[in-house]
Formats: sequence, structure tokens, C-alpha cells
Amino acid sequence: MPVMRWFVEWIVALAAFAMFALAPTPGTAQTSTTYTPPRTRDGQPDLQGIWQVLNTAAWDIQDHGASLGVPAGHGVVEGNEIPYTPAALAKKQENFKNRQTLDPENKCFLPGVPRVTYMPYPFQIVQQADRVTILHEYARVIRFIYMNGNPHPPGQIDWVMGDSRGRWEGNTLVVDVTHFNDETWFDRAGNFHSDALHVVERFTPTDRDHLLYEVTIEDPKVFTRPWKMSMPLYRRQEKDIELLEYECGAYLLKQEWDKTNSSLFNQR
Amino acid sequence: MRQFIAVVIAALAAVLFMLPVTGRVVAGQAFYKPDTPKFPQARTWVAQRAKLPPYKAPRTPDGVPDLQGNWNGPVGGGNDDLEEHDYIDVTTPPQESYVSDPPDGKVPYTPWALARRNEIRAGLARGWPGETGQRLYGDPAALCLVGMPRSSFGAQQIVQTRGQVILLTANTYRVIPTDGRAHMNSGAKFFFGNSRGRWEGETLVVDVTGVNGETWIDSAGNFYGPNTRMIERWTRVEPNTIDYQITIEDPSLYTRPWTMTYPKRRAGTGPGANPGGTTAASAAAVVTSDPYAKEFWENTCIEGNFDNVLEIKNLGFKWFNAVTP
Repeated sequence: MPVMRWFVEWIVALAAFAMFALAPTPGTAQTSTTYTPPRTRDGQPDLQGIWQVLNTAAWDIQDHGASLGVPAGHGVVEGNEIPYTPAALAKKQENFKNRQTLDPENKCFLPGVPRVTYMPYPFQIVQQADRVTILHEYARVIRFIYMNGNPHPPGQIDWVMGDSRGRWEGNTLVVDVTHFNDETWFDRAGNFHSDALHVVERFTPTDRDHLLYEVTIEDPKVFTRPWKMSMPLYRRQEKDIELLEYECGAYLLKQEWDKTNSSLFNQR
Repeated sequence: MRQFIAVVIAALAAVLFMLPVTGRVVAGQAFYKPDTPKFPQARTWVAQRAKLPPYKAPRTPDGVPDLQGNWNGPVGGGNDDLEEHDYIDVTTPPQESYVSDPPDGKVPYTPWALARRNEIRAGLARGWPGETGQRLYGDPAALCLVGMPRSSFGAQQIVQTRGQVILLTANTYRVIPTDGRAHMNSGAKFFFGNSRGRWEGETLVVDVTGVNGETWIDSAGNFYGPNTRMIERWTRVEPNTIDYQITIEDPSLYTRPWTMTYPKRRAGTGPGANPGGTTAASAAAVVTSDPYAKEFWENTCIEGNFDNVLEIKNLGFKWFNAVTP
């Protein structure tokens, strides 16, 4: 049955190609661009400046319609589907239902990675020879991305923002992030992860005023396979742009301090 | 029980301000005994500084003095009480005043503002002399609120880029533009104010307006207000020492401008508060042997301390609002 054998081989080959071509592979080059960015004094691609997203991923990283205070938006997840395990999908739906009380952002906790990148606040990239530092206006969050030759420190460390180690692949800053806790979400719609989260971010300059931001998410406790987000980051053009402040925790405590029936203080 | 609560509150304020919640405990955090010798601050440093030979700092590629590196805060018990005092408790050793001007080392409050400061201090419930036992205000830093000028009392890393000086700790930062831009409108208020820097010879001069007055200058209720202006002067006076001066002006609170002065020593070269939350240690041996010693590691505040914040609220402490006449 040569035709059948040919057909089976063809299917196998197609499947292998699909796995190779379509499955996101952390840390491999996925983006090509003809733009050559200027260099820093240390000879690195210069990504410095103040950047911000222009999308609705902070509310929901998947396709969503509008509701009060929530702008509709295209998702930033490639293919839109997030490959939750059945149990995890049930938890996501539970999270969505109870998002007002469960979303850690509502307690002003640090937002985690990559969520902090697509919150609606500007952030500044600062480069040194052995480190890229990202300063976020939101809650003055700082991300130190070390490129000093040190690997991730050993052990499972439960950090909110994880441990970030960077490297350059051509003009792309590739950041490997591990050592997360299980207490942050990806958005206000209840998309979540466990402490087994592994994030690989890629910042690729596509022209003077844009970075392509691609993220690969792996978490075998929650997802059946790795999945990807991607979105542009826009350079803020205002002449007087500077990071100001959004001290979330301070505003929240001040608002709730004298309430006799504060949900913030009573829910715990 | 009251004594226990007082110690808890005092320790909490000190710990939240000085220690990382995760990662390694910072070396050098101490609990002091009553016979601890008085820590030198402004008076001693001003006398030492007067004897230093002139120093010209190396320049950055942009031609301005190079202040970059890890710099410790002042020696001793930190800024529990910025005025001169004897031993108060285990976290508050005897210490000279941080105030170099006026010469008596006191904050030159107007009479009503001094009365307000003393009222706040009497309600700290820390077990300090002169307290009424009433719980009035806890140190805002214990609620994870930080602002000017207190952030510089801890250790900081200075990074300079073209047109900016950036001050980093493990969990907060300041970006100081030095490109000649104007201040924002004075109605815009921030915990860290609105900083504008310029270079005057060897000195980085930072003019800070737009502060909100909602944090304290120390943990003993010394305050500023929403109309206060602060002028910092950062000068490298030796290879491993920055002379830090901050002049605080507010005619509605003080009878005259006043100045605090202390040295910030390069981490690993001398005494002083360690970089909060970083693994970098003051002991040079540790810095060279641990490959992670110069990294900042995560130092959250409210995430790990929400129960403590709740406890402070449940003890009856009020929210501290900015003081205005």
C-alpha cells in the first residue's frame, strides 16, 4: 500500500514540521528585522528611553469585548488560545468571576512579569555594561536584568518579579526569568500561573521608536504547552516625558484606613 | 503588654526601613546597648570635612563629575531621630544630630509646628520618654511609604546617563533630570517630589519641589509639608566619600532654612548603612567572594507585611496627613 505509506509519512513529516515551525521555543531567534539600532558606549544595541504599550492587555490578554471601564481589544496571545489544563481552566474561570477581590493588582502588590510591561504606565530602560535596568512608573517597580555572567541563583526562590538574566542575540535583548511565586496574574481577567512559571522575553528594536516585545510562557503545572504573547512597545514622544509616580499602595491604604468596613482589611 | 507593643512597633519601623524581606539579612543591622558610644553625625563630619584636601572627581564621558557606584547611608542607628539624643532604645543608640545648620542641631520649627511635632512624638507609643501612651501616628515608613528626603538615608546606587542621574535601591528609585528642564506646576504633588538637577563645579545640586509632605524625615515625627522645597548638594570629596547636604526650606513650618549633612561612603570601603535589599555587604571580603554580592535582589514591602500593616491599624494608629498651618 504505497499510497497509504506515503500518506502516513507525509502526515508525520507535516506534524514534525508543524512542531518545529509553530511551537514556540524559548531562547531561539524568532524575529528578523532589517533595522540596525544605534549602539551604547559599551557597544550594545541602544534600547534606552521611555516606552509604553498602547493596548488593552492589562485588562485581558485575550480577545475581549468592552464593559464599564474596560476597553475592548484584540488579544496579545498568539492564536488567542491559552493552553490551560482542564483544572487550571476551571481556576481561571473562578478567578474571572471573583476578580474584584482576588486580583493581586487590587491590593497594589507588585504585578509580576510580564504583566508589569503592559500595564498602562510608562517605563524607562537604562543600560549598563553588565545590566539592563527597567524602571516602571507603576509603584516604582525596578527590574534588574543581570548580564554579568552569573546564572540564576540556585534553588526555588519565591520572588514576585522573578530573577531576570539577560543576553544579546543580535539586536535582541533576550531575558530569561525564573524563581516566581504563584501569587501574580497575567491580567485583570484572572489569567494566572504557578511557581513553576518560566518566562522568556525578547525585546527587538524594529525602528527608532518601536520595540517588538515577545514573551514565551512555560508552566507545566498550569499549561499543556508553551505559548506566546507579542506586542509593540512605543517610545513616548513628548519632549518633557519623564517617569512620575503611581504609589498604588499608599493611595489604597490612605483610602481604606478610616473605613469602618473596608474590604481590603476585612477580607483577611 | 504596652512595652511589648512599643518594642514591636519600633522594631517594625526599623526593620521595614532597613531590611530586605527576602534574600539575605543585611549584615550590620544591630540592636544597641545603653552603653553604646554616641554615633558621630553632622558635627563630627563637618569638622573632618574641613580638613580634607581639595578633590576633583574623575569625569564621566559626558564631562561631569562621576558619582557612580554603591554608596552607604550614614553610620549608626539610621534616622530614628534626626536631632541629637542619648540612648533611647535597642534600635536607637545615642547619636549626634544630622543637622549642621543651625549650629544647635535642632530643626528650627515655628512654635506651633514644634508643638505639633512634640504632640506626634508623644503619641508614637514606642516606649520613649515623654510619651502619653496614646497611639497617634505610626511611622509612615512602617506602612511602606517612602519619600523625600528619607530615601537618601539608606544606601543607594548612583547611575549616570546623559542628562540624568539615577538613584537606585532594591525597591525604589529617583530619576533626576540634569538637562535644564523646568519644574512641573507646583500643584502636582509626589512622595518624591519633582527633582531638577544641575552641576555646579564638583557638586550635583538637586532642587526638589512638589513634595506631598505625607512622609516623615525620621521615625520620630519630624515632618515637612506640601509647600516645602529641598535643595540637595552631592559632592564627591574623596574617592570613596560623597558629602551629602540637604537644605530644607518652608517659611510656613520653619523659622529659617535648615541643613542636614552626612557622608555617604562607598560600599565595601567603610562604615555605614548597607544597601537595603541588595546582597552587597559592607565587608570587602564578602563583596569579593560572593559573585552575587553586588546584585540587588527583590525587596518587596507591602506584599510580605500586609499583616503588620493591619496590626498597626488595629492598634489604633491614625493615618498621617500632610501638616499645613
